[in-house]
Amino acid sequence: MAEKVRLPINPSIPSGEQTVWADISLLLDSACKAIVVEYLLPTEEIDSNESVRGYYSSDANLRDGELIHGENFNLFAAMSALEIMDPKMDSGIVRRYYSVDEAIDSGAAPVPLSSDRTVDVQCVIDIMDHLLACEATWHKGHSLAQTVFSCIYLLKPDRTSPHALLHSYCRVIRATCNSVVSVVSDARTNEEEDLFTMTYGLPLKGDGDEKCLSMLNAVEETISRQLRACKAPPSKKRVVEDIEPLQTNPDLEEEFCKALLCRIRFRKHFYHALTAMKRPQGRGLELARKHIACCLSELDSILKSSEFLCSNACGTCEDGLEDRTTASGCQPIGFDASLNCRLSAPTPPRAIKILSWIKAVEYFQKLLHDLDILCSYSLDPLLEGVLRFVVEFQKFQPDLVARAHLQVLLVHDGKLYGRDPVFTVISKAAALPEFPKDHEIQNNEVLVQLGQLVISLLKILCTNAAWQRRKLGKILQDWRVSYMQLELAFKKEFRDISSTLIDEAGSLAELIPSTAIGHLSASSLCDKISKHILVWVEEQTYWIASRFLVLGFELELYSPNEYCMVYWYMYVVFIKLAEKTHLKMLTSHETGKRKAKKKKDSLKDLARDYQIPPGVLLLQCHIYLAEALTMFSFLQMLAALRNEHKVFPSLGPFNTEYERFNQHFELLQKASIPDPVTFFSYEESTMNAHLSNPVMHNCFKDALRIAKELRSSFSHDPERVAELRRIEQVAEHNGVALNLICRLGTLEPSLKVYFEFSHHPYFATVVVKRS
Amino acid sequence: MEPIATEKEGETTIELEGSEIEYVSYGGEHHLPLIMRLVDEELSEPYSIFTYRYFVYLWPQLSFLAFHRGKCVGTVVCKMGEHRRTFRGYIAMLVVLKPYRGQGIATELVTRSIKVMMESGCEEVTLEAEVTNKGALALYGRLGFIRAKRLFRYYLNGVDAFRLKLLFPRPELQTSLQMMATKHENHEERHLLQESL
Repeated sequence: MAEKVRLPINPSIPSGEQTVWADISLLLDSACKAIVVEYLLPTEEIDSNESVRGYYSSDANLRDGELIHGENFNLFAAMSALEIMDPKMDSGIVRRYYSVDEAIDSGAAPVPLSSDRTVDVQCVIDIMDHLLACEATWHKGHSLAQTVFSCIYLLKPDRTSPHALLHSYCRVIRATCNSVVSVVSDARTNEEEDLFTMTYGLPLKGDGDEKCLSMLNAVEETISRQLRACKAPPSKKRVVEDIEPLQTNPDLEEEFCKALLCRIRFRKHFYHALTAMKRPQGRGLELARKHIACCLSELDSILKSSEFLCSNACGTCEDGLEDRTTASGCQPIGFDASLNCRLSAPTPPRAIKILSWIKAVEYFQKLLHDLDILCSYSLDPLLEGVLRFVVEFQKFQPDLVARAHLQVLLVHDGKLYGRDPVFTVISKAAALPEFPKDHEIQNNEVLVQLGQLVISLLKILCTNAAWQRRKLGKILQDWRVSYMQLELAFKKEFRDISSTLIDEAGSLAELIPSTAIGHLSASSLCDKISKHILVWVEEQTYWIASRFLVLGFELELYSPNEYCMVYWYMYVVFIKLAEKTHLKMLTSHETGKRKAKKKKDSLKDLARDYQIPPGVLLLQCHIYLAEALTMFSFLQMLAALRNEHKVFPSLGPFNTEYERFNQHFELLQKASIPDPVTFFSYEESTMNAHLSNPVMHNCFKDALRIAKELRSSFSHDPERVAELRRIEQVAEHNGVALNLICRLGTLEPSLKVYFEFSHHPYFATVVVKRS
Repeated sequence: MEPIATEKEGETTIELEGSEIEYVSYGGEHHLPLIMRLVDEELSEPYSIFTYRYFVYLWPQLSFLAFHRGKCVGTVVCKMGEHRRTFRGYIAMLVVLKPYRGQGIATELVTRSIKVMMESGCEEVTLEAEVTNKGALALYGRLGFIRAKRLFRYYLNGVDAFRLKLLFPRPELQTSLQMMATKHENHEERHLLQESL
């Protein structure tokens, strides 16, 4: 049994809950491969001192795999040990240089880059390109320290000052990064930004970086003149001769000038666009769009410059385009990602792969397109419109930076667009009858909480799909609780309010006699408010639930043998959603009728004029598709199992369909959505599924019919027309497939039937093939 | 520390007869280098020796090795414990050497661990797998795991992961729920469904 070595705890540094400090200098002296333990966690777990053979060092000479024993230290804590000199773990390992200064002294980042001015320009362009690749890699989820700030020139802001071109470019890069970091930090798009916004120890804000644009403009101006000078016909040359050319080779002057100009202009417009987008209440969106358009056109020029740069550098630009991080294909000077690992921001020790230059350009094109969609948004004051916009926007799978901008635009100062108070938003969304603007009703605690739920919903919808789904699942319970609290509050507290309202209603009726309020008694106003809000809260809750279910398809969380239960659940949730939406529309419709003062005929009118609103009919299409696909996927599952000679699907080695059902819909069930629905009602509903069941055929037919009829109702709304088209395609294809299968007999073994999402993101298309 | 489980598609395969593979429960320190070599070869995540020790010292009964003619060709490493008021098993690493894949070795290894977890009173089993790891996803799917969550850029290489979960049946709960549901069904639910049609 090994003997324990007790280490003296260093009294000058107190041990905290998370750390143990021990003086291991003696051990380090004698151990060439010691284990340093950091980040220790407190322990309640088994003290394994005695049980672990050879666990502690018998003398001060530590051998590989041995451990120093500290007070609160166990096997779990030991996992956080870093192995010194293991390149996967040891960020302090010396790779090339000990410090930035050492790197600079060794000539790793010379200023100027070359005494030959042509070479110097070439090298600067390489730096610009590599920085673009680094920036895109950063946006895609790596740390700033390992990407953009692997550039030694950026780490020492003052060193570049004699080189106006490099200096101004470095400044605008830092300023841009700073701007992006602040938007992402403000938005707090959860977990993703952790690494993204980590900037400790990096010179993100150089003195005078705010003047970056004026410096950049000056440089741009100079190069524009140099370009004009070299393009001028010989007769005019004399006039402009006093302008010193960019570099020494006249044959290359024009192309180099152009290559630099588009790069500089891209940075300028990009910075402008980001700044304009940050203006409060979306005031800078129009301006931002102009800059975005310029950015995109400069990116095109940057792409075009590749041919020249490449052939100039190596004579050909054929191979290796996928891997290189510059347009020329040359390795850039002045980058070392390992420096920061040793010196500053917490950086994972392992080297990361920087995106290729071409991928980086594509990333920025995508980002700019996403931002452009954002900037062309009309700031819809109706919540329904906002939600639809966000959902549509998310279909483009925007990356973090675009989503952060979206969120900052939508929610600012706790208001929609930093403009509309949440209660106003809710009032409009729930079609509340009018009442005094400053009335205390909106200060009601439960309503304030509801407002916060709306804000968090908006924020959640801006996050990445994976995170979004988890959060939506959890927020469902909050909406449910809110519903119950509102119900209670309306019953109890609003009785008091109604007595105050009665006093005010008299004066109000005089003030605005034409509005509905004049015709309503104060207590019925309260009734109305509570009815409207409750219906709306339920509708929202089911909307969230449906989004939760639908996102599962996008995230590939469902396997084909689970489609049946998923479609069934969607079917049930869609029904509830349609029901609540319809009810909401009916209640506001009623109010509208009353407003029109047709009291006598109103009921008859309702019956005669009333048509189901298009929004509800669209949901009806979804219901039909979900219903038919529930049955179909059930049959498909059975057939597949029969063909593979397997037993009934609910029997696995460890659990049954019952457990899978409860796991998939755990969060919905916790929130009683819908109430009451259990596995057994699902099981029962699939009992009647058989191929000749006319319900399945009719569902596809009805979905198709309604979708076609609805076209005219949505002619002004291209997104919904597209959705109708998708529904038609799914219904049409699946109807045909179903007929085919019926004609060929039951799902026979030679027939290969499977699902594809070729027409709709979550309604599967049935594919039938003979194998 | 977030270990990963993997079983990627094989390239060249060694054909085996059923009885040729010998499965052994973790037997002590002499097995540790075998496990480490297998995992180091196949996985990119950096694990120190202490990571392995944490698992195999505390839960030796949950780790298994597969041998083919004396050569270790596969291993599974797991843990179990309290997690948010649930007693949960966790599959930390599952590796089978490439030429030996596709022959049920991984399934056998992981099934043995899951059985021990079940007998030890675990309510569920979880693990993470790369979204691109089709082999592992299919394997766990067959065993009854569902994809409970997607974890955005979970691995150091930037790939998303699925959190897979297997819920064990709780017979007493199921029976009582079934009784309750039967009552309900006759009333509200049938009504709910019919109404909607």
